[in-house]
Amino acid sequence: MEKFAVELLVSNHYGVLNRITGLYARRGYNIDSLHVNETENPEYSRMLIVSKGDEYIQTQIVRQLSKLYDVKDVALMARVNP
Amino acid sequence: MELTGAQIIVEQLCAQGVTTVFGYPGGQILPLYDELYKNADRITHVLSAHEQGATHAADGYARVTGKPGVVIATSGPGATNLVTGIANAYLDSVPLVAITGNVSIPLLGKDSFQEVDIVGITQPVVKHNFVVREIDKLAFTISEAFRIASSGRRGPVLVDIPKSIQVESCEYADVQAVSGKDATIDADTAGEAASPAASPAASPATSDVASPAASPATSAAASPATTPAAATNAASIPGLEQAIEAISQCERPFIYAGGGILASGAEAELLALSDKLSAPVGFSMMGLTSLPDNYMLNLGMCGMHGKYASSVAQDECDLMIAIGVRFSDRATGEVKAFKHNRTIIHIDIDLAEIGKNVAATINICGDAKKVLTMLLDALPEKHNVSWLERIEELKQVEGSPQNGGFTPKNIIEAVRRRHSADTVVATDVGQHQMWTMQYYKMGNPRTLLTSGGLGTMGYGLGAAIGGCIANDRKHTVLFTSDGSFGMNLNELATAVSQELPILIIILNNGVLGLVRQWQNMFYEKRYSQTTLNRKTDFPALAKAFGAAGYRATDMQQLEDILDGLPAGMPAVVDCHIDMDEVVLPMIPPGGTVKDIIY
Repeated sequence: MEKFAVELLVSNHYGVLNRITGLYARRGYNIDSLHVNETENPEYSRMLIVSKGDEYIQTQIVRQLSKLYDVKDVALMARVNP
Repeated sequence: MELTGAQIIVEQLCAQGVTTVFGYPGGQILPLYDELYKNADRITHVLSAHEQGATHAADGYARVTGKPGVVIATSGPGATNLVTGIANAYLDSVPLVAITGNVSIPLLGKDSFQEVDIVGITQPVVKHNFVVREIDKLAFTISEAFRIASSGRRGPVLVDIPKSIQVESCEYADVQAVSGKDATIDADTAGEAASPAASPAASPATSDVASPAASPATSAAASPATTPAAATNAASIPGLEQAIEAISQCERPFIYAGGGILASGAEAELLALSDKLSAPVGFSMMGLTSLPDNYMLNLGMCGMHGKYASSVAQDECDLMIAIGVRFSDRATGEVKAFKHNRTIIHIDIDLAEIGKNVAATINICGDAKKVLTMLLDALPEKHNVSWLERIEELKQVEGSPQNGGFTPKNIIEAVRRRHSADTVVATDVGQHQMWTMQYYKMGNPRTLLTSGGLGTMGYGLGAAIGGCIANDRKHTVLFTSDGSFGMNLNELATAVSQELPILIIILNNGVLGLVRQWQNMFYEKRYSQTTLNRKTDFPALAKAFGAAGYRATDMQQLEDILDGLPAGMPAVVDCHIDMDEVVLPMIPPGGTVKDIIY
């Protein structure tokens, strides 16, 4: 299956990482890599999550992430695979 | 004005227009209950027998009023007892605000007495949940909880408030939540969801997954700002023009309506659309009551145990307008056959539902009322005589079996004859629920309380209590069964102490009928653990609780009981029916309309 990366802008707050990874876990999608950094504005963090899935999974993940209260922005990055 | 946390909660509840709450006190929520005591003239608290019953009551209250129901519980077991009720509200998109106490902040995370991580536990079944750790955030958090629960796609929100926060005080000014992300897909901004003009920071739902460059996260470190782009014409709503063209060209239109119609208040628009297109309407269970029962093109529920004409018409249409539905597996059966050879237009407020279960031909993300209004303006009138004749023919095939005797159908109809369209009717889960959907002539919008997505046995009595209170404590009906009623019958105590006129009809067959029906059909009649073999005397039990109790074994007995019910108290009527009564029609799980058994 295709690798895909999702970039997120989220609240810099306890429990937020749990909510986001829980969304992957519930559907049985493994997270291959995860980066989290506080942004220049300490209210927010930026995340980059790499996982595997077809177009259906990618669409679902992005749309479900979008619904989370602590997620301020989400974007599917360009294809990671060569 | 300096107020304690408990006082702030009460002030915020009042500011939200809350007049009735459901709950159960306990150690870590004592400060709030002390304030509720002092404010009994402003907020009525309904004490349940068990926290689960209180959540179902808040859920029933919310379904009838359309406003968030409120349930309050203490920490630990009080909080965990809410979980089923919260999950039930989540799966049926019911607005609910649950407030739980928790141990004081210094005791959090130490496995203190009655401490659980209720925020962690409920995370997968809420729209959002909060722990309040700072008193100055309390007012905003409560206000925000109500906003989230009642905007966009409705749902439950939990607020966990440690006891120390309830006791601390701070300066209080009435705080209103700011318009947040739900506004991007709400009524006033339908269509913004995919509009490139929308600010990416304000509407994460804008991310067009087909073109990843559309909404770069890179620009958004600034504070999120809302820029509602008012959508005023068809061109600005993706999918709308295509939908208009497809509907204009179709020959056999069918409307599949769900709970989104009721949530959005689009009943009049639905009727107008059906009338304009001469399109028959079938419903998901959540969509029932959105059209008058006697409307000619109302075919009733479709799906696994739907009406024959409704399911077959859905299969024979060449265009399906699906509004406010999520294509549950119970409603679609096998998805490929469900989709074959037809155009499906899917209208839903939740972008994540678009393409999740069924990949429709045309998708419109927006509020049902808003989208239907725009469709109505643009669509031509249609009247396909041969399609309408076919619908009539299907209705004739379906017929109306007129078997005499003490059958579920006759019992349900006898009860219905004595009630009006504004009677709230609740059900539990199982065969009696499906019979109610099939045979009870549905009344006004929001008068049906039933557990759709979660299928919660034990939902009914709590829901009936909440629904009865929401409907000015008028006569309310609960159809239940010996199995379901056995799960939460302790709430009879609540109905008695509240003096609620709830008529409880137990369709008592001595078995777990729907599971038994599956065992009969798919497990070669091995009735594993579905024969209850109990000796419960329901009329005596009802009397022990202080309610009226009766047993009926034939129609005449039942009619006499129904004509002589006492006023101002719940009454239980134990109706003994045959254990081999089955729910038909049935489309077997994963099957298609071709497999329908009727």
